[in-house]
Amino acid sequence: MNAITSRLVLDTILAASLTGMTCGLMGVFITQMNLSSLGFCMSHAAFAGAALGLLFSINPLPLAMAFSILIAAILGPVAEKARLHANVVMGILFPLTMALGLIFLNLSPGFAMTSSALSLLWGSVLGISRDDIRKLILLAGVMNMLVVAFEKEFRAIMLDRKLAKASGIKTEPFYYLILFLTGVTVALSLRLVGGLLIFTLMTNPASTAYQLFYDIKKILIFSPLLGAIFSLFGILLSFCYNLPIGSSIAIVSTLTFLIAAGLSPKRRVG
Amino acid sequence: MEGFVKRGRMQSSMELIELENISTIYEGERIPAIRGINLRVRQGEFITIIGPNGAGKTTLLETINGLLRYTNGSLRVFGKDVKKFGDEVRKRIGFIPQSTNFPEGAPYLVEDVVLMGRFGKIGPLRFPRAEDWRKVNEALLLAGVESLRKRPIGKLSGGQQQKVMIARAVAQEPSILLLDEPFSNLDFVARSELLELICNLHRAMGLTTLMVVHDFESIPEICTRILLMREGKIVMDGYPCNVLRPEVLNPIYGLHGLSIAPKSYALPIDQELRPRPQKTGSQKVGSL
Repeated sequence: MNAITSRLVLDTILAASLTGMTCGLMGVFITQMNLSSLGFCMSHAAFAGAALGLLFSINPLPLAMAFSILIAAILGPVAEKARLHANVVMGILFPLTMALGLIFLNLSPGFAMTSSALSLLWGSVLGISRDDIRKLILLAGVMNMLVVAFEKEFRAIMLDRKLAKASGIKTEPFYYLILFLTGVTVALSLRLVGGLLIFTLMTNPASTAYQLFYDIKKILIFSPLLGAIFSLFGILLSFCYNLPIGSSIAIVSTLTFLIAAGLSPKRRVG
Repeated sequence: MEGFVKRGRMQSSMELIELENISTIYEGERIPAIRGINLRVRQGEFITIIGPNGAGKTTLLETINGLLRYTNGSLRVFGKDVKKFGDEVRKRIGFIPQSTNFPEGAPYLVEDVVLMGRFGKIGPLRFPRAEDWRKVNEALLLAGVESLRKRPIGKLSGGQQQKVMIARAVAQEPSILLLDEPFSNLDFVARSELLELICNLHRAMGLTTLMVVHDFESIPEICTRILLMREGKIVMDGYPCNVLRPEVLNPIYGLHGLSIAPKSYALPIDQELRPRPQKTGSQKVGSL
């Protein structure tokens, strides 16, 4: 293995671990706050943003991030105005983002079937640059710091927003911070996992950890850990069988989730 | 436990809650859920709020602690405007919502749920200290749920969950306790236990308590005042012995044959000093 190849492998492993970790961490909030559709919706918004970037031949990452955060920003107010649960509003926004993404790809015929376009959908290590890795390291560091700093507020909001507010916590800024961080995570993870499957990495680690523990503090530790492990095994599978990374991660994480659900101590009687 | 109990001996006639002409309208609605509410609550009072469904009882409670924003009037709790100082005020108000049915798999241990009651007081960027855990231990003991501290909250029965919610409110070291139908979905035994617990805490901690109930049997003997609500208004505000009478309640509830078991309700906390509530036009049942 020459130096370039080994550096590429190391970069990929690092990127995958960091992506898995941050997605796994944010996934805990998303699953516990019944906002599972949020990751789904944001990932497709990020896909639409990145597709727009391809259309105009500009860096897709800032647009992916902008679209993803935009979804988070309009979700709360729209849900409140429409008097609907956030999940219903996301059900409305999801097809819109998907439609926009496809229209943008369609408008750029030269790009439609290129590896750049496909990597937005399915994920690719080829899209990972040194700059992306620096951003991922920064993101993972900031995310962990924020979660540790506001862990108790986040936990209280996850249990019950109304109760948290009733005990004197300013819930709104923390709720919107969770949405914002999710948007950033989705956008930065897009290249590795792809728009269609990023949702897997947000939901499966948290759901698997949830099968194993009754204590949210343990879930907050194990979910990022599982996210990193799923990513690494996904990449291994991808290298071995020449599969798209996103799909490999989806297979590994879903299988692990099913095993955890089957063997969960929560199902044990006595 | 001393810290919680000590304040119980301090009684005064200080008004903790002052509502003047308060109305609250839910977004998108045209008719206020509560309107023209005038209410003054003094320290140490135990007030029970009754009335038919849709009378505005829950809205009144949630307006007092600022969970709902009032649209008209002036509302002060601890002498502070709730609109401006909502978070600060809520740190000193224990709130037990109408239903706390946590899902069975909810990954939160009882002791963590109780500790969450102190998070507002601790404030952001600070971690719970030994003092906070000491308050949690005391609250768990007072509420009689110490043995459940390591259990996941979702695995408990409805009555146990309500006791945990009370422990959470106690850990908050509140001056005011707001309870919104705390006995809904509880059987007779669980209801009696919880009622006894609420009364003991009210006395021991010197709380000012406002409790919404549907069932007249749940009105405790230490209750000093009853607010009878209908269609968003307080139609009667008086001593239990004056309000809990068939001739008062029957027209409000649209009943005919209602009978109420007699109870020896406590006298007001400072009966000698306190003038009896004036029966102004809006407070008379006859005005309905």
